[in-house]
Formats: sequence, structure tokens, C-alpha cells
Amino acid sequence: MTDGDLDATDPRTLPGFFDALADGKLLGGVCTDCGQVLLPPRPACYACGSRAVDVEPQSREGTVFSYTEVHTPPPAFAADAPYTVAVVELADGGRLLGRVAADYSDVAIGDSVELTVHEPTAAEREVALDYETDWPVHIFEPR
Amino acid sequence: MPEPVIASVGASALGRTDLPGRDLFSVALEEAFDELPDPADLVEAVYVGNQSESYEHQIMYGTLLAEWAGLRHVPAERVEGCAAAGALALRHAVKDVRNGEHEAVLACGVEKMTSAGTSGATDALSAAFDRAIEQRSGITAPSQYALLAKRYLHETNATEHDLAEIAVKNHANAARNPRAQFPKEIDVETVLESDPIAPPLKLYDCAPVGDGAAAVLVTTAELAADLGRPQVRVAGSGASANNIAVAERDMTDIAGARIAAETAYEEAGIDAAAVDIAEVHDAFTVCEALLAEAAGFAPAGTGYQSYQSPAERADGWTDVQLSPSGGLKARGHPIGATGLLQALEAYEQLTGAAGDRAIEGAETALLLNEGGVADAVTVGHVLTTAEAP
Ligand SMILES: [Zn+2]
Repeated sequence: MTDGDLDATDPRTLPGFFDALADGKLLGGVCTDCGQVLLPPRPACYACGSRAVDVEPQSREGTVFSYTEVHTPPPAFAADAPYTVAVVELADGGRLLGRVAADYSDVAIGDSVELTVHEPTAAEREVALDYETDWPVHIFEPR
Repeated sequence: MPEPVIASVGASALGRTDLPGRDLFSVALEEAFDELPDPADLVEAVYVGNQSESYEHQIMYGTLLAEWAGLRHVPAERVEGCAAAGALALRHAVKDVRNGEHEAVLACGVEKMTSAGTSGATDALSAAFDRAIEQRSGITAPSQYALLAKRYLHETNATEHDLAEIAVKNHANAARNPRAQFPKEIDVETVLESDPIAPPLKLYDCAPVGDGAAAVLVTTAELAADLGRPQVRVAGSGASANNIAVAERDMTDIAGARIAAETAYEEAGIDAAAVDIAEVHDAFTVCEALLAEAAGFAPAGTGYQSYQSPAERADGWTDVQLSPSGGLKARGHPIGATGLLQALEAYEQLTGAAGDRAIEGAETALLLNEGGVADAVTVGHVLTTAEAP
């Protein structure tokens, strides 16, 4: 196994990934052996086991693969409920879960959405772990 | 290689109870050892399935429960894998007996889920999901499975009515199970008109929150015979982890469950058609449909017919009966104990101790126990009283 020195600036770690996301860049891992997209990036490919993972910018546009509406939220998000959550298939092939800025009844499988990013709200900061405090939060906007 | 068998089982009451976790365990242990020497004279190691320390602010359940069983100075540990913890504990016990390290191992599980209310359980269970992306998006266990259900209904002919029928079938089974948390029949309208939790899933699509403990004694066949106990062979055991994030998995081909089942079949020298009964992880109704397909009982896209009689189902279905206990849905789902409650049901079915809910002629059972959402980790066991092939 050969890896470069991973540190918190490397997008294959969560701090590195979220630093880039805060600047509006969605980075994915791309396996150079099998092409699998990994969101967020990580040192190894789950599809084939390879550790030859490049980090590449990913399109923020995608379509809804599945979705639901949370009526019984965890205590930290009680004030937001009900809210819509989806699994989105991005244009470059990766899939990512996130909230959707739309009512459940206005969403359908196949709808086009775009990933946007905001700084954590006061409520989100309150439930964040110390090291997560400045991590941005992503949300999908209908297009 | 010694052949592991289940020699005895026991469980506490399930549901909202007035007992803390260790006491629930004591109740389960008393039943399991009712006709046996004391645990200290038999048990050589202990594995405890337990989901979360948040319910009782307690870890070290291996040490604690070994002590409460009167077992000092034995190897004892808590096994963690969310709702698969119980079957993981069973698997460890099976392997210890199979590899000759021990002759008698106690696999048990406990969860005191009602200690912090529904929101406390919701929060504790959300820890099973990826923290960085999923938890921070406000995902919950029902909404994770709702994402699978929405996709399943999109890709197949299944309807919300079919999912409701699965709940109705499992409640009807539980009505004949004196151990069940909800031993009562319900109708389809009750399910369809129940409160939305995460559409398309409604309250009655969801397994309940509840307390409970279960204990399963795994021994060599020789020791079980010496003890004069009815025995059920653990003929196969398989386990498989998959991605932590459901978004990155195939959401309708539950690959981890398929691999866990196939591994267990292969060890047992059988195929899916040989299975008479199955206790699958129906934490939500859609799970039973998905797992019927993953286990090889049903052709792709027809698992939702699990509530129908074998003659009514699509071509290619086996004659298996699913969740005779009432399943997680109605028997109950005290997270860390669930995998062992599945083993308990199979033991009672295969040893003629299942009373009114007995499936006539049942010799071979498949157990599928999942942790995290769907196949984040799945454990499969084949239990049988049939001769080895
Ligand atoms: Zn790869």
C-alpha cells in the first residue's frame, strides 16, 4: 500500500473536502482503475479496492434518484420538520444524499436539481462537533 | 470441526418495561437456563449485542452481563453493529464453538430503548448513519428506509397497499406469539391511514421502539446431547458489510444481504429452496420485500408478495414462510436483541415449541439481521434440524 501523506488539506479527508466545498467546489474521488466516483473522496475505492484515487471537481447538477419527507426528525432538527431529503445522482456519476429546498409534493424522481452550499446556521453550529463547526452544509435546489 | 448447535434460548418481555437492561438480561437468562446447570458450570465466553450506550449511559456490557450471570474471569465483550449486533454476537459464539476454542458460549443481546422517549431513540439510531453527509442532513432511520421504499415502488409493480399487507400479515403472525410486543391483528386501512413518518412509509410500516433482551446458548452437539436438550444445528453463518451511505449503494438489490445469505447457504450445503421459514429484518415493511429477493426466495421485483400464500405468488418464488414470529414489525425490535430473537423463533419452530404459530414440517430456517440502513452490515444464519447433506 502506497499513499501520500494525508493531512487536513487533502480532499481525501473530510476537512479538505469541506474546505473546498465552502469555496463552492464539489470534489469527488475518481478511481483510476474502475472509474467509480466517491463522494466525499476517500483513500480507497469501495468498488474495486484500488487506492489509486484521483480527486476531481464534480458537476453540481443532477437528478433525484429517490426522495422522502422527514416527519419525525432527530431532536437537533425538530424546528425544520417536515423537510424533504433526496438521494441525487450527479451528472458525473456520483450519488449524494442531501436536503431538497422544495416541498415533498413538488418533487418527483428524475427532477433536475443543483447542489448549493451555505454556511452553517446558528442552529446547525449548535449541534456540530467542535471540528465540524465551520463545515458548510449542502442543499439541493430544484432547477 | 465441532458442530455448533443452539441448545437453549430465552427472552425477557418485549416493549415498554420497568426493568433496566441488565435486569432484562437476567430475565432472559433465567428462561434459557431453566432446565440447565448454572451458567457458571457451563458457559466459557459471552458476547453481548447492544446498539447504543445512549439509552443507559453504559458500555462494558460484556463485563456487566457476564458478572450478572455469575461468570467471572471469562472472555466477555459487547458486539456493536447497530441492529445487527445480536446476530454478530451469535456469529462469534458459533465460530468459537466451531473452531474448538469453547464448548459452550452465551450469545445475548439487550436494549433499553424506552429510556429517553421516541426522540431519544431517533437520535440514538441516527448515529448508525454517516455523520459527515447523512446525519448533518437530518436523516433518520425511517427516512433512510423510505428512500429505499420510494425507489422500490418506482421500479416494481409493488404499491403502498402491498407494503401494508406485509404489516397485516406480520401482525396476524404476532397475534399467535405470546412473546410479541403487539400480539394483535390489524387491517390494511389501519396501516394506510396511520400517521406519515417518511412517505411512502407510515407509522404502521415501522417496527416499534421497545425494550428487550434475549439469550441463546451455543454448544457443541455432544454437550447439548449430554445436557438432554433439543438441538438445532447452526449449519451456516455469513456476514457482509457494505457502504455506510445508502446513497452509494444499489438501493433495490440488497447486495450485502444476498452475500450473507449465499455464504450461509453454501456453508450449510443448501440453496434457498430448502428454506422452510425465514426471520428477516423487517424493520420497515419494505425490508421484507427487499430481503425476500436478496435471500433468493423471490425473483427480482416480486418480493412484495411475501404476504401472499405460496400458491398465489409469482412464478419463481419458493414456498418459504416469512417472519412467523410477527417479525420486527409486531414481535418487537429491541435493537441489540433482535438478531437473537430471530434465532429464538427459529429454535422454537424447529424443535416443536412454537405452539399455535408452528409452521408444520419446518426443518430449516434462514435468519437475516441488518444493521445501519439496509445492508450496511448483514448477518445470515442457516439453522436446521435436517441431516447434513
Ligand atoms: Zn475502483
